[in-house]
Amino acid sequence: MYKTVRTYIKPDIRIADLVFENPYLLLLLEHFDLDLIMHDKTVSQICIENGINEKIFISFANLYNGFSLSGSGGFEKEHIETIIRFLSNSHNYFKHDKYPEIQDYIKKLYEKNPTAEIKLIGKFFDDYFAEVTEHLNYEETVAFPYFHSLLHKVSQDTKNQKNRFSGAEYLEHHTDIESKLADLKNLLIKHVSLKNDPVNRRKLLFSLIELEFVLNIHSFIEETILIPLVIELEKKQNLG
Amino acid sequence: MAKHLINLGIIEPSHIIYEGLANILLRSTHHFQLYRPDNIEELEHADLKYSFDVIVVNPICLQHNIRSFSNLKRTRPRIVWIALVYAYFDREILSQFDNIIQITDSAETIINNIYRQVQTSVPGVDIPAGEHITERETDVLKLLVQGLSNKEIADKLNISIHTVVSHRKNIIQKTGIKSQAGLTIYAISNKLISIDIGLSSPPPGGGKALIKRSVTVPPSLL
Repeated sequence: MYKTVRTYIKPDIRIADLVFENPYLLLLLEHFDLDLIMHDKTVSQICIENGINEKIFISFANLYNGFSLSGSGGFEKEHIETIIRFLSNSHNYFKHDKYPEIQDYIKKLYEKNPTAEIKLIGKFFDDYFAEVTEHLNYEETVAFPYFHSLLHKVSQDTKNQKNRFSGAEYLEHHTDIESKLADLKNLLIKHVSLKNDPVNRRKLLFSLIELEFVLNIHSFIEETILIPLVIELEKKQNLG
Repeated sequence: MAKHLINLGIIEPSHIIYEGLANILLRSTHHFQLYRPDNIEELEHADLKYSFDVIVVNPICLQHNIRSFSNLKRTRPRIVWIALVYAYFDREILSQFDNIIQITDSAETIINNIYRQVQTSVPGVDIPAGEHITERETDVLKLLVQGLSNKEIADKLNISIHTVVSHRKNIIQKTGIKSQAGLTIYAISNKLISIDIGLSSPPPGGGKALIKRSVTVPPSLL
């Protein structure tokens, strides 16, 4: 439903060309556990060599290029493991790479601009980070294991009601995470004046924008691909 | 003058015509955000998320959906409906639209036709650059960042809850900030409230706030 000027990715396009066009694809490769040196290989070659499902790779890569899925996407339960692996890798990127980096920029910003605003921005981000970490941990310890158990038809421990997966809870977390990030961007671009550190602010903003980009796609994959697949699976198992 | 984005949906089966119209609109001096729902049903769903200002429809897409179309028209009075016409349609169908564009119209005519309708129906589509929140909104904001509820703010300012809610909506729209913690930072940046945070204390995360003037920031935010 939206426009872009980027290439619509197909199996016979060279990956290097795609990365030149949209460097964010480096993150996609990383989250598929791929070596970043691509030589002149095409999308299709890379997928075959590394045992990655081509359909998933191309759909995700096209999300990075701004193309939404056509229709339901036609994913099946065989794809669930790969999708979870991809998502777990991006969790590591959020938790151990991007968020600490942003915290560090805010800290540096505060060193040169010791104002109440920057201090509160630091606090705002720390709280936000804690909230995101909690959600990511929820996915890792409750949601993903539940999906695994569904796939392998292991009966779930239903005694522990607290650790039950809930689709509604999942989605609610997402909305909140996105809106706080938007607040932060708005504050830093439109409102909070800084005198002493334009370079750090720019780095911080780039970092936030990258995070937002990856996070949005991450949520999209979960909401429109993974969750519907899981719901489908639940239905089938209840019938059988 | 800064301009708001105009959210515009196009329901048109022909890809060539959709792309052509999209191209004309995106290159115009107005700011359109374009969406292409597949049909009226999807439109209804998408409207919840994007809240459209204008829908351009090829009436051919309404043939079996006249009822959903009338329903949508009734329940979403804010939307401007424009027919995109390149075949014969009954006068009665066309009369349901706010305006009509013909496929042979010039780019200028198409843009003007759409924009004129939006100007009259969407209040504040032109906003003066750097518009700040009003005095009354500032009053609401000050109480809001102290953690007061809508009801408490209404009582304090002697206005209705409904008015408080509408002020809050305006504040969010003008600042782009939704959370209370974010609005607190906004209020400090714009010197609407001031706090003293003992600057010698450790950087972000620690430190206790002392409030100057009569404004208090709830401890939960600091």
